[in-house]
Amino acid sequence: MEYVYALIMLMALYVILATSFDFVIGYGGLISIAHPVFYAIGAYTSALLALDFGLPIPLAIPAGAVVALLASVAVALPSLRISGDYLLIASIGFQLGLLEAIKNMAWTGGSGGLTNIPGVSAQSGGHGPYVVVTVLLAIGTVLLLRWITGSSYGRAISALRDDDMAFSALGRNGMMMKVGIFALGSGLAGLAGGLYAHYFRFLAPGQFGIMQSAALLTMVVVGGMRSIWGPVLGAVVLEALPQAITFLNLPPSLLGPLQGILFTGLVLVFMFARPQGLIGGGDVWRGRAVREVRDVARP
Amino acid sequence: MFSPLILLQILWTSLATSSYLVLFTVAFALVLKVNRIFNFAQAATMTVAFYAAYTLVSRLGLPGWAGLLAALAAAVVLALPLELLGFRALRRRRASSIFVFIFTLIISELVAYIAMLVYGTWPATVFPSLFWPVRIVAGVAISEWDVPALGATVVAVSALFLFLRRTRIGQSMVAVADNPDLAEFYGIAKDRVYLVSMIVASLIAGLAMFLYGTRAQVEPTTALNLLLFAIAATIIGGIGNLGGAILTAVVLSLCENSSILFIPSAWQGFLLYAFLFVAIVFFPRGVRLPRRLRLSRSVPTPAFAPEEPREA
Amino acid sequence: MSPGLEVRMLCKRFGGIVVADSINLQIPAGRVVGLIGPNGAGKTSFFNLVSGIVRPDAGSVTLGGVDLTGLKTHQRARRGLSRTWQNLRLFSSLTVLDNLLVAPRLYLGESLTALLFGAGRVRRAERADRERATAILERTGLADIAHMSVGSVTFGQQKLIGVARALMNDPCCLLLDEPMAGVEGQAYQTIQRVVRDLAESGIAVCVVEHNVAFIRDLCDEGVFMFAGRVLARGSVAELIADPRLTELYFGT
Repeated sequence: MEYVYALIMLMALYVILATSFDFVIGYGGLISIAHPVFYAIGAYTSALLALDFGLPIPLAIPAGAVVALLASVAVALPSLRISGDYLLIASIGFQLGLLEAIKNMAWTGGSGGLTNIPGVSAQSGGHGPYVVVTVLLAIGTVLLLRWITGSSYGRAISALRDDDMAFSALGRNGMMMKVGIFALGSGLAGLAGGLYAHYFRFLAPGQFGIMQSAALLTMVVVGGMRSIWGPVLGAVVLEALPQAITFLNLPPSLLGPLQGILFTGLVLVFMFARPQGLIGGGDVWRGRAVREVRDVARP
Repeated sequence: MFSPLILLQILWTSLATSSYLVLFTVAFALVLKVNRIFNFAQAATMTVAFYAAYTLVSRLGLPGWAGLLAALAAAVVLALPLELLGFRALRRRRASSIFVFIFTLIISELVAYIAMLVYGTWPATVFPSLFWPVRIVAGVAISEWDVPALGATVVAVSALFLFLRRTRIGQSMVAVADNPDLAEFYGIAKDRVYLVSMIVASLIAGLAMFLYGTRAQVEPTTALNLLLFAIAATIIGGIGNLGGAILTAVVLSLCENSSILFIPSAWQGFLLYAFLFVAIVFFPRGVRLPRRLRLSRSVPTPAFAPEEPREA
Repeated sequence: MSPGLEVRMLCKRFGGIVVADSINLQIPAGRVVGLIGPNGAGKTSFFNLVSGIVRPDAGSVTLGGVDLTGLKTHQRARRGLSRTWQNLRLFSSLTVLDNLLVAPRLYLGESLTALLFGAGRVRRAERADRERATAILERTGLADIAHMSVGSVTFGQQKLIGVARALMNDPCCLLLDEPMAGVEGQAYQTIQRVVRDLAESGIAVCVVEHNVAFIRDLCDEGVFMFAGRVLARGSVAELIADPRLTELYFGT
């Protein structure tokens, strides 16, 4: 039973992570792969608040999400001010830099990891209700993002992605929108982090590195970028698939790399053979037509 | 603690360390300048080059020069499909920059995982031992690694600049870097230029990784961190400015090595990310030196090119 | 007559190239002013400077007495300065109608907080915008293609959409960058009529255009630019008749 709970838990968390990541890179067109670092911030903040300050779990988790959101604004503001391309580098630097810092600090548990995180089972009757709440939050995330992308905000996002210069010349604050998109996506990742921390009760910096970025990217690309249900399907399928490998009883030293190869290999296959993903239409990957890029005035 | 001798020693060590860092940076900056690709796959090239040398020298006991050749060959062997099957196909499709970037990143991760599967996650080195005999010259310890490494770097960088200035294909690379459309108009085959640029950059990265692997331990994910250094140096040096990138690599190497005087060594790795962040926030367009101080003759692309050609 | 757009001592150089050399230019409300000059005279650069896309080295821009100098592009647009683009810059993944719907001067839907905490208000604003957009599409003869993707309509229609989108922005001053290049027939007539109507409703209009007939028919006066400077200002007929300007225009 515990195994099934854990699997459902992970699927729900990855649904939150993949859909919010797709919101940032697919819908928002913001190039960043540092989504896991906001997952980490949410997880560590929530865990440390509960561990060191005795904050109740239902308060610690939202606090983690808020801190992740604020951190994402702090990363996005200076780099987006210059150009969208710098967000990518700034966020990777932030991701690896923060993980490096976590490895070196005692109060985050260092590279060995943070243990003894207050969990739910001690306070309530088992894991069941916690899993239900997480699944509901995952469904809520999907519905929220579906509503936003279908609203007037979603229309503005599309326009911004198509041509941010024409967009701002109409009086739209494209910069604030980009920060908003990034912050909302990152805040949701932070929420997933808090939910993870108090269920699995162990955090290590290695869980939030580039490998995690690759996994999320795979879910989004394989499922179908810039669609709502694509990343959901991607998250469920790709969470289930590696589980199948674990049944092979391989040693962990083989299992990790094999999963990694599976994830990255799938991205490559889909990028070239089926760029639109399992679900989704439209030419997501095509660059802007040359004609339109020509007279871009870079101030 | 801050005796002149220590400072001199740090200066020398920084210079020696900068040998491979300069080469990593040059390779990255070259592909960015000519191919206009933010090539994270260089980490894959570096990983492949290292493990080729490692296999031949450390595992099979062949001499060092065979390892170097293997590193160079492996780097080129990876560059060919990368350019011919990957980048070329993406160009044909007019893929967006995020697509190309994700492609390069995924390639470097895929290679890292394959390396983990084959070689495990334990740190490895090209030669079984990292120890190099040391000679004391005027109070400064100079290892037998330092001089050949610096020599190789100087030769490689000089050869690159000669190649870009003197050979026809090198000049074509500069022309494509300046204006790909115009270059094509003058009959320069862009595809060939991009391929040569990838090969040259891979050779440089392969050499650099061989040098690194003879002096420090390498894991499958080491290359990605080394690449971040190259990116920071490229940005601070001013994108498109090879000379600036080289100079920045040396300066950053000095900062990193002298940091042991001020901060605990465990935090030395953190410094790199600080560089990267400072580079993006404060020097997104590179540090502008006064014109007469610039090393390279290459003019940075103007921030804004007037869209209409002037006729009058 | 209200002040309209006022540009004073606008200067900008890129490296050695001067694109704006102490430009002084006033476009009164209700007037259509044509910018004429050879390629590279700095006409589009002038638009980029005025709309805040490019930061000038010196000079000021005011609109209806409000100082726009130092404001960002979107802030200038919110104060009533709209422009179109030589190469259209339509939102290619949206329909014709949606291209207009993101263009009102005030768009509540761009704020996530407004959406999350004031959904009703956003919906009401959206309904009003939809009515206005439909009216503009009627006026520009685009109503039939309102739900088509902008990529699938003719070039003339795309040009019209660019103008319609700027109308949706409800400007006090409109900068039109080559609205007629490559346009003929029905669309030509429509653009001409729309621009005329705009001026009559009290909007200051500035047009960059190579089509001399269009400039002559439509503009109240012309401004001749060369090498980033304003060389002459007067009626279009006068400017065309000036042999000195003709020589500069066609080169020697």
